[in-house]
Amino acid sequence: MELAPNQNVDLVSGDHATVLEELGRGGQGIVYRVDINGKQMALKWYSKPPADADDFYKNLQRNIHYKAPSEAFIWPLDLTVKNNDCFGYVMRLRPDGYSEFGSYLLNKSRFKSFDAMFTAAMKICDGFKYLHRQGYSYQDLNDGNFFINPETGDVLICDNDNVVADGQKSGIRGKARYMAPEVVLGGLPNKYSDRFSLSVVLFMLFFANHPFEGSRVSGCPCMTEDYEKKFYGSEAVFIFDPVNRYNRPVPGKHVNVLRRWPVFPGVLKDVFVQEFSQEKLKDPTKRITESEWEPIIARARDTLVVCPHCGEETFFELDKDIKKCMDCGENIDIPQVLSISGTRDIPLTAGSKIFIDMDTVPEAAVVNDDKGRIWLRNISSEQWRVVTHSGKTKLVNNNEVMPAKEGLDITFRVRGSDYKAVIRNNQ
Amino acid sequence: MSLLDETVEVPRRTMTLFFLVDTSGSMDGRKIGAVNESIQEVLPMIREISANNPDAEINVAALQFSTGTSWVYDEPKAADDFIWQDASADGLTCLGEACEELCGKLSKNGFMKSASGSYAPAIILLSDGEPTDDFDSGLSKLEENKWFKHAIKIAIAIGDDADKEKLAQFTGTSEAVFTVHNIDALKKMIRIVVVTSSQVGSQSSAAGESTKQQQVIEQVQDAQKEELSSGGSSSGFGDEDDWD
Repeated sequence: MELAPNQNVDLVSGDHATVLEELGRGGQGIVYRVDINGKQMALKWYSKPPADADDFYKNLQRNIHYKAPSEAFIWPLDLTVKNNDCFGYVMRLRPDGYSEFGSYLLNKSRFKSFDAMFTAAMKICDGFKYLHRQGYSYQDLNDGNFFINPETGDVLICDNDNVVADGQKSGIRGKARYMAPEVVLGGLPNKYSDRFSLSVVLFMLFFANHPFEGSRVSGCPCMTEDYEKKFYGSEAVFIFDPVNRYNRPVPGKHVNVLRRWPVFPGVLKDVFVQEFSQEKLKDPTKRITESEWEPIIARARDTLVVCPHCGEETFFELDKDIKKCMDCGENIDIPQVLSISGTRDIPLTAGSKIFIDMDTVPEAAVVNDDKGRIWLRNISSEQWRVVTHSGKTKLVNNNEVMPAKEGLDITFRVRGSDYKAVIRNNQ
Repeated sequence: MSLLDETVEVPRRTMTLFFLVDTSGSMDGRKIGAVNESIQEVLPMIREISANNPDAEINVAALQFSTGTSWVYDEPKAADDFIWQDASADGLTCLGEACEELCGKLSKNGFMKSASGSYAPAIILLSDGEPTDDFDSGLSKLEENKWFKHAIKIAIAIGDDADKEKLAQFTGTSEAVFTVHNIDALKKMIRIVVVTSSQVGSQSSAAGESTKQQQVIEQVQDAQKEELSSGGSSSGFGDEDDWD
């Protein structure tokens, strides 16, 4: 049963939704723009009841009760009263300016910067961290579930109607290309398989090709269901597997990953090699959690600098012998680094942003003066306390700057925590 | 120039959608008119499915069969470039010959030479009569073809004169044969079958127990039920004037 414009639908909360227009339709149902008490919202309507409709309805009720795991989720907010066994749920409207992840893969949308790309990766991890912390699993994570703002990297996670308590089954199976091998081979999805799918999505976000589609898979002339079970299930091989080298990316075909893999930071590549190793493909419990992903992405983001020669973003790894800009090819010399907590060294180049903690809001902007000297501008709301070589304490407030001079000890305050850092020369 | 500016589209597989259209004399009149109109109308939907699908793009090929066979184009065309040529109806129903012709093209040297590989094709057969040639020998050759074995095969039987048994032999199961009894139902069925086959066929599978063909069958059956429950005209069987 479909809904018509101006039709009123009763909601469980006691409110009423008035249908304004159809926004789109898919395999499961139709999404309408509706008016609820003068506010425009979206209503996903199952024009034919899903399988196990009663359980599905109860699960939606439960999820509405426990509320969204984080702001990134376009979460069910209210439920309609059943009408001839049909029903739907209310959610907020997707704002303008966001593109489906698939449109990035089709190169119809493109990140404005690598900075935005890393923000998106962080936000996706953050969303699933909170989802799993609340005891849910997402079940069918794939390229259709995310909308990303190409300018800012902000992420919206959609299609949350299949989210169930971890260990339960939603009946949804997803797409083999994004499923964990054990699910491709008939197992039930859970938080461990979510984490595999998350790694696939992150890989595709960074490298814009599929992690298991190299020469062996793309050489398969007809990808039947049986072959999908083999290439994404029983015989999945990562395209950069260090041992099994027969599924490497193909020049001219897997263009993006061949361009990006050699220049992306090692810390990120190492984790993909581990996560897609035969060991972790076969043992889901060994896969890393979202909380472990976040510092890895943060450390990779630390290497993102602005080339002093061409002004484009490039990766600068302090422990690499050759340091060339990935765009202009010029050698880059970065004299100063910000060393945080003795564990992270962030190269300082004008135009770069510095993230002290692991969220997506930078605390410092690196700028230079007219003599080319490097300064740090406080773009956070907290005051920085700086102790100089001679023991003087100076305070740096919002929008004020401090020179990137060797030996300056800085205490950053971020969301209630102190982070100790020091400026040192890059040897 | 940033490395991001050098990004290219991911390589996509190809899913070829085949129309096998009976253009024999019995199709003359409103039946062939409705088929012509429906295929034209459904093409923009195929284009949209293809344009927004990171798994695969959709190519379209069409074979008309009557006393002989003829391809609308001599190669599959991207959904964007495929323009349906209105068919006129005349002659016999050489479905056996059509099977052999299709078999010849279902090979890497024929229509299935996509550089990035393919998903199994979707083949939609529309017919209103019974084959007038040696269907069995044509089909037995086709059944040996691996592309055909794995294809989504759906038949639309137009009216009760269609040889549903032969159509079921073609699709491999009688469940994949959908019968329509009037022009309105024919148009709707073409849209539902083509859109569903395009969506399911051009996506990475759910790797479940049921095949893509079974998924298409189930979704088309659901759409039919929906049509019946909403009082759609496809529930009408009696209007013989529709076949004038």
